[in-house]
Amino acid sequence: MSKYISIENLKFALFELLESDKLFALDHYKDLDKDSVNIMMDAIKDYADKSMYPVFKEMDQQPAVYEDGKIIVHPAIGRFMKDAGENGWIGPTFSYEDGGMQLPHVFHTAASHIMECANNNMTGYTGLTGGAANLIATYGTSTLKEMYVSNMLEGKWAGTMCLTEPQAGSSLSDIITSASPQTDGSYKIKGHKIFISGGDHEYSENFIHLVLARIEGAPLGTKGISLFAVPKNRITDNSGLEYNDVLTAGEFQKMGQKGYCTTHLVFGENDDCYGHLVGAENQGLKNMFQMMNGARIDVGMTAASVATAAFYASLQYAQERSQGRRILPGGVKNVEAQQTSIINHPDVKRMLLLQKAVTEGSIALLLQASLYHDLSHHSSEEDKEKYHLLLELLTPIAKTYPSEMGRVSISNGLQILGGYGFCTEFSLEQYYRDIRIMSLYEGTTGIQSLDLLGRKVVMKNGETMKLLTKEIIASIAAASNYDDLKPYADKLKSASKNLEQVVMHLLQFAMSGNHERYIADATIFMEMMSNVVIAWQWLKMATTAKTALVTGNTIQTSEFYESKIHTMRFFFKYELAKNNGFKETLMDPDSLTILEDKKSVLA
Amino acid sequence: MKYLVCISRTPETTAKIAFTDGNTQFDKNGVQYILNPYDEWYALVRALELKEAGGGTVTVINVGTAENDAVIRKALAIGADDAVRIDTDPKSAMNVAKQISEYVKSNPHDIILCGKETIDYNSGEVGGMIAEFLDIPFVSYGEHLDIEGSSATVKRDIEGGSQTVKVNLPAVISAAKGMAEQRIPNMRGIMMAKRKPLNIVPAVPFEDAATVIGYTLPEGKSAVKMIDPENMDELVRLLQEEAKVL
Repeated sequence: MSKYISIENLKFALFELLESDKLFALDHYKDLDKDSVNIMMDAIKDYADKSMYPVFKEMDQQPAVYEDGKIIVHPAIGRFMKDAGENGWIGPTFSYEDGGMQLPHVFHTAASHIMECANNNMTGYTGLTGGAANLIATYGTSTLKEMYVSNMLEGKWAGTMCLTEPQAGSSLSDIITSASPQTDGSYKIKGHKIFISGGDHEYSENFIHLVLARIEGAPLGTKGISLFAVPKNRITDNSGLEYNDVLTAGEFQKMGQKGYCTTHLVFGENDDCYGHLVGAENQGLKNMFQMMNGARIDVGMTAASVATAAFYASLQYAQERSQGRRILPGGVKNVEAQQTSIINHPDVKRMLLLQKAVTEGSIALLLQASLYHDLSHHSSEEDKEKYHLLLELLTPIAKTYPSEMGRVSISNGLQILGGYGFCTEFSLEQYYRDIRIMSLYEGTTGIQSLDLLGRKVVMKNGETMKLLTKEIIASIAAASNYDDLKPYADKLKSASKNLEQVVMHLLQFAMSGNHERYIADATIFMEMMSNVVIAWQWLKMATTAKTALVTGNTIQTSEFYESKIHTMRFFFKYELAKNNGFKETLMDPDSLTILEDKKSVLA
Repeated sequence: MKYLVCISRTPETTAKIAFTDGNTQFDKNGVQYILNPYDEWYALVRALELKEAGGGTVTVINVGTAENDAVIRKALAIGADDAVRIDTDPKSAMNVAKQISEYVKSNPHDIILCGKETIDYNSGEVGGMIAEFLDIPFVSYGEHLDIEGSSATVKRDIEGGSQTVKVNLPAVISAAKGMAEQRIPNMRGIMMAKRKPLNIVPAVPFEDAATVIGYTLPEGKSAVKMIDPENMDELVRLLQEEAKVL
C-alpha cells in the first residue's frame, strides 16, 4: 500500500507544536490522556488502511447514481456508517450526557485527517451526521434529542444540512422553503433543497435533515429564517417509521468526490412533510452557523488531507522515476551516466517542497483552529472570549487556504508525474478532481473572503486582529532566540506590518462609505493574509523543531526536524514573498472591477 | 476459563532500522512502537472471542519497562480485563519466558496464548520456553483454536498442509494468521482501558546464558536491471546465477 499520510507529522503538530495534551489538565477532559488519543489515532489508521484506502479509486469508478427514485452508493458506505457508529467516531466530542466521549475537537480533527487522507469520499457521511446531531443536541428540545441523537451517533440514522435552493445559493436570504405551524407543535415543510451532500442512500434507515425554512409571516431576509429537523421517515406513535414525504428527486453528477452523493430533495410534494423547530423562531441561520463554522474547518481539513495524500503519491513517483541527468559544474551532463531520479531535479524538488509547505502548513493551522475551539469552551472566562475571537477570525482562512492552495499543490504534484499525472492509472488526477469542490463547499472562496475582510477583520473594532497580531508577535519573539531563525522572524514581522498597512488603506474606503470598494478585492486580501498566517505556523514549527534539535529532547528523527526548518525557509522564499505583489495590487488606486458608468469591459 | 495472553512491544513495521554502540544496540531514535501484531490480532482477539462465548477472564502479560505501558493500554482497550507487567528490561526470549512462567506458577491460568513470533527478532521461542519451564504442552502456529471442557483443539499450519491436534489444558498455544480477525479498539474501550488494573510485579533474578555480539543490516537492494524482452536467455541466466531463484 502506498503511503498517504504522515502520522509522525500529525503527532508532531498535536503534541510538540501545539502541546494539545495540556487540555487533559482541564476538568472537562480529565478522563483522557495522551495514550488514549494515541490508541484512538492508531486504531483509525489501521481501519483506514484496511477499509478506506483500498476503496478510494473504486468509489470514483463506481460513482453514486440515481436509479428508480433511489440513490445507489458504494457498499463501503454502509460498512463505514456501521463501524463509525460502533467505534464511537460519530460525535466523540459530544458531552457524556449527549452520548459522546468529551474528546477535544483538536483530536477529532486529527482523526478526521487520517480518514480523509485515506478516502475523502467517505467521511462526509459521518461528518454531517455528527454535525446535524450536534445542532439538535445544542438547540433542540429534550424530546427532539431523545428522538434522534442516539440513533445518529450509533450510525443507524444519517444527518444532513439543507440550505441551498435552486434560486438561493450563496444568497441564503432568498430561500423560500416554507414552514406552517401545526396544532401539535410541529411544522408542515414545503420546498426544494439542492446540493444536499449525503442526502439519501440505502444504507441508513432514516435521514434527519436540518432544514432552513421560513415560518409563514416571518420577516424577509436572513432575519426570518428558522431551523427545522425534518426526518425522511417520521416516528409513529408505536415507535415505528413512516414516510415523511421527503422525496429524492435526483443526484448531481460531479467532476470529483463521485462516491459522496449530492442530492436534490423535495420536501412536502404531497403536502405531508412535517418537521420540528430547532432553537428559537427566526434564529435558524445563526444556529445553523454553529454547524457551518465547524463544517468549514472540516472542509479545510478535507482539502488539506486530499492534498497530503497527493503529496505522498507524487513524492513516491519522484523517488522512483528516473529521467535525465543532473547538470554538472560547467553546465555539462554526463550522457553515459545512469539517469537520475527526478526528485534530484531542482524544479521537481521545488514542486514537492511546495506540496509539503502547503499541506503541513494547512494541517498546523487547522489543528490550531480546532484547539482554539476547545479553549473557547473550556478555559477561563477571559480566555474563552479570546479564543472564540481568534477562531472566528481564522475560520475563513482555515477553510480557504487549504482548498485553494491545496488544489495548486496537487496541480504541481500532477505535473511531477508528467503525462502519467493526467492518466487514471495514477491517483493524482482523482485528487485534483476531488479537491476542486472544497473551495465551493460551505461558502465559496469569494464568500469566505467577504466574511474575512467584511466582518472578521473589523470585528470588535479591530480588537480581534490585534489578538492575532499578539499571537504572531509572541511566535516571532520565540523564533528570534535562535540566530538562524531570526531572519525569518524579521520577515514575518515585516509581512505582518504590510498586512496592517493594507487593512488601514482599505478601511479608508469603508469609513468614507464606499463599502463596495472596501471589499472589491477581498479575495486578494484573503491570499495575502493567508500567507501571513501560514508563515506564522511555519515559523512556529521551525522553532519547535529547532528547540528539539538543540535540547536533544527529540521524539522524531533529526531528519524530520531539519526538514521542518528547511520547508519553513522554502515557504518564506517562495510563498510569503508573493505578498509584496498582493500589497501592490491591494493599494493600487485603480479600481478595475467596479464600473460606475455601466460600460462593459468584457465585450 | 482463565486466559493469559503474552504481549510484546515491537517497532512499527515501517520504522527505520539502525544500530548504535558498535552495532550492538538497536537505535531507538525516532522509532514508533506498536503492539506486536501476532499477539494483538490473533492471540488476544481469539482469547476475547472464547471468553465472550464461554465466559472467563482475559489477562495480558508483558515483560518490560514502563515504556511498554502504552501498548499494554491498547490491549486493555481492545478488551482484556486486566494486565500484568513484569518490571524488567529483558535481553533474551529466555528471560521473557522465565519471568512469565514464574508468574504463572503462582497465578495459574488455563490457556497461555502468544503470537507465533514478534515482528522484530522473529525468534518464536517464548511460547515453547514457557511451556518447558511450566512442564505443560505447547502447540505452535495455531490457525484455529477451540476449547471444549478441559482440552483445546488446535489446527496448525505445517509444511504443505495443516494438522489438527487436541491438547489437555493447561497449555501454551502460539497464534498465527487466521486464528482471529483484527479488532479496532472503540472509543468506549479506549476510555475504559485507563481504569482497568495494570499490576506491576517485580522480576525474578535471571542471568542470560547468551549475549548478543552484534547486529548487521541486510545488504541494500541492487539497481533494477532492464532486460530486453527478446533476450529470454539472459533473463534466465540472471535468475539462475545472480538472483539464484531458479
